[in-house]
Amino acid sequence: MNSGRVQAGSSSPEQTRELAAAIAELARPCDLVLLVGDLGAGKTAFTQGFGRGLGVDDQITSPTFALVQSYTGRLDLYHLDVYRLEHMNEALDLGLSEMLDDESVTVIEWGDKITQALPRDYLEVSITFGQGEEDRLFELRPVGSRWQARMRALTVALSAWSISSEPVSGESVSGESATGEPPC
Amino acid sequence: MLILGIETATVQAGCAIGGHEGVLASAHSAKGKRHAENLTPAIAFICEQAQIELSEIGLVAVDIGPGLFTGLRVGVATAKAVAFALRVPMIGVSSLDLLAFPVRFTPRLIVAAIDARRNELYYALYRQVPGGVQRISEPTVGSADDLASELLALSEEVLLVGDGAHRYREAFDGLTKVEIVDQGNSFPSAASLVQLAHAQALREDFQQIDSIQPMYLRRPDAEINWATRDSAP
Repeated sequence: MNSGRVQAGSSSPEQTRELAAAIAELARPCDLVLLVGDLGAGKTAFTQGFGRGLGVDDQITSPTFALVQSYTGRLDLYHLDVYRLEHMNEALDLGLSEMLDDESVTVIEWGDKITQALPRDYLEVSITFGQGEEDRLFELRPVGSRWQARMRALTVALSAWSISSEPVSGESVSGESATGEPPC
Repeated sequence: MLILGIETATVQAGCAIGGHEGVLASAHSAKGKRHAENLTPAIAFICEQAQIELSEIGLVAVDIGPGLFTGLRVGVATAKAVAFALRVPMIGVSSLDLLAFPVRFTPRLIVAAIDARRNELYYALYRQVPGGVQRISEPTVGSADDLASELLALSEEVLLVGDGAHRYREAFDGLTKVEIVDQGNSFPSAASLVQLAHAQALREDFQQIDSIQPMYLRRPDAEINWATRDSAP
């Protein structure tokens, strides 16, 4: 069972960046975020804002050709795009295990395609097109305990961009009361 | 023949120069995963210390892993570049062989274990033979608990060496026949690499640059389902 999903909406790339920065405020070392969405949905804009929220000063660009880019911030960020890969092991060849074991935060564009190669503990952010040309809808789905424990905090953080959200279940409340940092 | 050894399979990056006189100079650093930044200045440093021009190098030896993907890429690419520029042959040696070699003076079973991250290890089993060690199992990737179960089933005196043994030492806590080698020997060393490569070079057992590949131990592969991408205009 998933303990609640959070939905949010944005009407411009800059709003997408602000929304992503708000999510990044809640990020912890070793977190994994998967971005799901068609070409042009705003996965890179999301990561730019997310990086801003992590305290990354450098300009974040699409990693489609470099495959992986790393940035230094309050928490370091690895930004991957698996769109050009054909096999799961190519993702592992990029050093995925090392990134996830590095006290950093990893964001993977098209990450839903390689979940077999990933730990079952991540936040999936799905981006879909809305009514207007620049409108985007976001759905945040936690998989595993790391992010499930933060769903209430995410709901609060994204209240400014809220569309509607399912009530957060009791399971996540107990998760939230757990003390200490989750291990990598 | 002078050998340049390059070793970057773990968080440690190292290089050494040596030959029939043994190791003439070496440098290692294990801080901050700065393989790309540290390696070439370290090579320049050891050449200077050994009073050797890079052009005198007749063979480039490299640790081909298994180990950290990012580190291995830096080491293998650098070693190939040097060998290519100098037009000299290469020798690739496994990181696990390099871990087992310095602790070879024991009748115990030697198990070399490198941290593969996220609770997994790369490991292989070794026995002492005259002049070195012999690998008696294929290098494998598995969890620390997998290895602990394997060692328990063997019921044999074991010397466990490597950064993986230290990182996941709780997994081996209850195993009374297993001793973990101290931290000082827990990374493959470039000095061992030069020694092993020298023995191999005497047999003229060289490799061409193209045939040197990092040893990426992985689980069975699967194709990514790209129905969405491939139907895109």
